[in-house]
Amino acid sequence: MATSATLTQTKSGNPILDSLSVVPGIILLAVIGYTAKVLEHSVNAYAKSHHWVFPNIEYVLWAILIGLLISNTLTIPKFLQPGIATYEFWLKLGIVLLGARFVLADVLKLGGISLALVVIEITLSLALMTLLGRLFKLKPKLISLLAIGSAVCGVSAIIAAKGAIDADDEDSSFAIAAILALGALALFTFPAIAHGLHMNDTSYGLWAGLGVDNTAEATAAGALYSDAAGKVAVLAKTARNAMIGFVVLAYAIYWSSRGQAETVSNKALFLWKKFPKFILGFLLISLLVSFNAFNKAQITSLGNLSKWAFLLTFAGVGLRTNFREMSKQGLRPFIVGALGEILIACLTLGLVVGANRIWGL
Amino acid sequence: MAADKSTLSKESTSLSLDTWAVVIALLLALAVRLNVLRNLPW
Repeated sequence: MATSATLTQTKSGNPILDSLSVVPGIILLAVIGYTAKVLEHSVNAYAKSHHWVFPNIEYVLWAILIGLLISNTLTIPKFLQPGIATYEFWLKLGIVLLGARFVLADVLKLGGISLALVVIEITLSLALMTLLGRLFKLKPKLISLLAIGSAVCGVSAIIAAKGAIDADDEDSSFAIAAILALGALALFTFPAIAHGLHMNDTSYGLWAGLGVDNTAEATAAGALYSDAAGKVAVLAKTARNAMIGFVVLAYAIYWSSRGQAETVSNKALFLWKKFPKFILGFLLISLLVSFNAFNKAQITSLGNLSKWAFLLTFAGVGLRTNFREMSKQGLRPFIVGALGEILIACLTLGLVVGANRIWGL
Repeated sequence: MAADKSTLSKESTSLSLDTWAVVIALLLALAVRLNVLRNLPW
């Protein structure tokens, strides 16, 4: 990630020192996140008291903008990098805790619709990216990585596939940079388009979950629209993430049949290893809530904990997005990615509009 | 690019990251359930 360039982990070999090394970066994430919350309230209150016509900028956008400003104007010191890299942990913690805001019936209904749409989206995305990659004469394994990244779940899928299809580091870096750059663009374009189309929260959340590739960006793109849309975006994205093992397995079998990757001997074990385990945590918390293990105040507390975890994630999304680093990764994979993503965004929008007509989202 | 390699080599640790996220979320849920943590603000 370009940006992953900023996320190098420094290991001293001493577990206590390694644990402490994340503290400064986490403090930075918390400071940015809290500043975003303060800005949301104070700027809106100031504009209101002075009768200004000023857009209501939510904490999500403030957190991302502050992070972007820092990462693109300053050099982030090395001692902050391990802590900044923990944004992925906060994202997963936030998703598991978000399970408290869904009863299982909602998960089954929306998750079922999401899964049906995810299967169509994955099939179309894989076909489209493969076609575009061949048209632009990209290397075959880079095409596979871009296809997997745009069809399933961004960076995690590319990292999971990299080992399975024996792709080289350079191809993986290209694919990751393209997916991240496009994710950053989606943060601003998806909510704007949805506002223009007057989409409801559920439809938009589904679209963000299906159309934005990386889980952190999909969560942020959903939350930028509304709290309810953010919830649905996470659910749809989680359904998409659940498919990672199947897609990577299919590619692993394809490349091993060509003698260019190791054979997968135990497919069930492969699927289990690639399955994102945090989804099980999300379902467990949702199950507990459905069986009334928590009262209303406790559910609110768990929901609030999830929001705090996401706040740190959004600060991390901004901090790890460095446009200068991304531009160094080359133009062709980016063009293929961009063309593919625009077409996928249109296709997924069509799918969601269709689903809305059928199921009345 | 070199740093990307470190990211890419994190595949094995991403599994434990999932497990940690689930374990800590469950511990937090237990603390909320037992009212050790209550009325958490937003």
